[in-house]
Amino acid sequence: MSAPSEPSSADGLVAEKDRDTAAGRDRASHPLVRYVLRRTGASVLLVVGVTLVTFVLTNLVPGDTVAANLGQQAAADPTIVAAYRAHYGLDRPLPAQYLTYLANLVRGDLGESQQTHRSVVADLSAAVPATLEIAIGAIVLSILIGVGFGVVAAVRRGHLADSALRLVSVVGISVPTFWLAMVAFYVFSYQLDIAPGSGRLSPADTAPPTVTGLYTVDSLLAGQWATFADAVAHLMLPTLVLTLYTVGLLTRFTRSAVLEVLDQDYVRSARAKGLPGATVLLRYVLRAALVPILTVVGLAFGALLSGTVLVEQIFSWPGMGSYAYQAASHLDLPGVMGVGLVVGVIYVVINLIVDLLYGVIDPRVRVA
Amino acid sequence: MIGSRSTRGRSLVLVAAAVLTASGLVACGSGSAGSGSSGGSGGGTLVIDSSFDLKTVDPGREYELTGQMLTKGMYETLLTFANNDLTKPVGDLASAYTLSSDAKTLTLTLAQGRVFSDGTPVTADDVVFSLQRLIGMKGNPSFLLDGVTVAKKDDSTVVLTSATPNAALPFILPNPALSVVNSKVVTANGGSTDEKDAAEKYLNGASAGSGPYVLKSLDVASQAVLTKNPKYNGPDKPVYDTVVVRNVKAATQVLNVQKGDSQVALDLSGDQVKSLNTGKVTVTSGPSAYTIFLLLNQGAAVSPATSNPQFVSAVKKAIDYAGLLGVAGTGSVQPAGIIPSLIAGTLPASDALKQDVAGAKSALAASGVAAQKPKLAYPSDLTLNGLSFQTLAEKLQSQLAAAGIAIDLAPAPVATELDNYRNGKEQMGLWYWGPDFPDPSNYLAFAPGGLIGKRANWPATAAPAINAVATQAGATADTAQRDALYQQFQQSLNASGPFIPLVQPPSNVVTATSVTGATYNPIWTVDVGTIGAK
Repeated sequence: MSAPSEPSSADGLVAEKDRDTAAGRDRASHPLVRYVLRRTGASVLLVVGVTLVTFVLTNLVPGDTVAANLGQQAAADPTIVAAYRAHYGLDRPLPAQYLTYLANLVRGDLGESQQTHRSVVADLSAAVPATLEIAIGAIVLSILIGVGFGVVAAVRRGHLADSALRLVSVVGISVPTFWLAMVAFYVFSYQLDIAPGSGRLSPADTAPPTVTGLYTVDSLLAGQWATFADAVAHLMLPTLVLTLYTVGLLTRFTRSAVLEVLDQDYVRSARAKGLPGATVLLRYVLRAALVPILTVVGLAFGALLSGTVLVEQIFSWPGMGSYAYQAASHLDLPGVMGVGLVVGVIYVVINLIVDLLYGVIDPRVRVA
Repeated sequence: MIGSRSTRGRSLVLVAAAVLTASGLVACGSGSAGSGSSGGSGGGTLVIDSSFDLKTVDPGREYELTGQMLTKGMYETLLTFANNDLTKPVGDLASAYTLSSDAKTLTLTLAQGRVFSDGTPVTADDVVFSLQRLIGMKGNPSFLLDGVTVAKKDDSTVVLTSATPNAALPFILPNPALSVVNSKVVTANGGSTDEKDAAEKYLNGASAGSGPYVLKSLDVASQAVLTKNPKYNGPDKPVYDTVVVRNVKAATQVLNVQKGDSQVALDLSGDQVKSLNTGKVTVTSGPSAYTIFLLLNQGAAVSPATSNPQFVSAVKKAIDYAGLLGVAGTGSVQPAGIIPSLIAGTLPASDALKQDVAGAKSALAASGVAAQKPKLAYPSDLTLNGLSFQTLAEKLQSQLAAAGIAIDLAPAPVATELDNYRNGKEQMGLWYWGPDFPDPSNYLAFAPGGLIGKRANWPATAAPAINAVATQAGATADTAQRDALYQQFQQSLNASGPFIPLVQPPSNVVTATSVTGATYNPIWTVDVGTIGAK
């Protein structure tokens, strides 16, 4: 005898299965789910395209990876060169090399770096969190400061505050990031001695056990408070340098977006109804202006990733920018491919998130 | 107007709070800034800033400057150079050595009682395994023992036999790539004496040597941490508990060493050391062992101009060598021949090439190719000890133009241009040579038909007299005789060879005033094990 809650016959089981299937179909046919699935599929194709373009371009660059990675005497020894080519699979035709790369990629293997002699996955597992740690900090600060500045500048249009904030914006966008990094390091670390030196931690400090690769998070998880403070201290200067550029960008776009909305009829109506200024600003103006701001935030995050290449060099930050530079300098094909792939994936994910957030912010996008 | 006074006030307060929070965090960060490194008082942490070219610290596979420095700190070789005297190899793990009169057999007697970092003794079997592994893996430094076989004669004697006379062997053995590893440990972790060796991963996480320090951690992109080897029983007792070697660009090294964040900076240019506060740091400047040279291709099909002997002579006479030293900075010198000043067999300064603009103009006129405009190829992104090849190429172009010799600059990234250089495609090339080992035989690469000779399309048949001197020098074991032959070889090169030695760039080692013993060595840069504290 079956329990009351269980189906009492095979018909019942089939009916329940049908209901589950129908529910599954409903979920799958939900516009948002279909949209995400479609975008994810397109993203996978895009990433494969990124690998192909990176592979072809890297191989088109004049120069021999053997010459770039072996010493002069070793490169003149045919047995050493043959061993090197065989080790990295360079003795096979290019299409075969690419297909092998794709097959390994499916298994999560990005090959072995010719520059570090380690697996590219291991290299990127260390480098990507290092870069994300400053990039995420920079984008959060940029949103808080840049959007705030933009709103204030728009609201105080034509006043002193507007002029001052626009000046900050122009300076932020115009000043070369690498120059700013050098000056910031010289002034705050060397002259004023209020910021620590280069690297992610002080030399005597030991990296926390790796969980996420983000030293701030990992040190907290391990309860290493001194390491956490040291990691935060080392993060501040590179983060603030990167922040200045994106603050400038966001201030400028937020100001434009808010100004556009401020002149809309519904805003005037809201004011006429006697709603408090803050309510009008937050619920009517800022929400409507968020879509273009969100677009710029997505672009700014991408710009941050490219900006880290030079900033990482100045602050001796072992992130993705430094890794990409070294890999390119040594014609390290697996390294370059790995960086291209990760950057491609990050861009695709950011674009996907931004597109999904459009729907959250603006119901008209959801309907469309 | 939307913003009421109170709203505006709140906005400004929020903005101010954000800025203050950021500033506060920076200030907060400064609290731990100085806690990372000790001064140079010894017993603490020594921080060395270096611009990394690091790939691995597996002896037998590493062959980059940073790898050489780190390996030297963790391992020992059979022979070494004491007090950086590169002209006389002395015992390290070997107590004595004898080179046969035909320069084909090197017999080494092992020092007794030496131990690895795990406490086990260093044996003849470990020596044989280490050198056979280097040869058999066919890695970057395997060429160092080309044609050499290694055998154990008895428990305290190892014999190296070369197929051809090789008087350079005692000068090759101090190279850290020939370090002796603990064969049991390495074998247990995938090591072998052939191409199947798989111990590199292990050796990049832990050391297996008998040197003053052991590897604590390694990130080839950012830093290596060494700690004192408690079992070390060699001659140079390590002073520091920990040595941190960090990957830092030269511009940042300048600030770190003056601020006290680091105690040693290895990559500063002549201009950068001029700006240093000598009250805070000690600067040791001198010529490096690199020779920057100009190559003129002798292939008529590559360039009718550079293959013309009169044109080559005109270029040699047109260059203002003293002017190039001004670009290279403090500590640089003009090499009198292709062998730099630090190495045996070098020429006296009086034999160096000299500027003679009138002679250059007449040689150019006699060449019949004055209208030609050859291309000078060079690695535009390469900076050697602070000397940019871009700057040097531009200086050369202007000096040659002053004598009526027109050239076009053809800059390219080093990774790209190397291929043209190594395949003999450059009309004129601006490159450098660093010694693989400090013996003049390493410079036979510049002989006709040698490694670099071929790149200049200069075969042995093109200069049989020079080739004969080079061959004889390579086969001679007697020190005085071989020095004389290498000098004759270089004088011939200066007179009619297709290479023009230009500059030995400076080597600047900058240390905290409390640090001692950090002196430049062209093979391992500085010996971490001998760096001490006042």
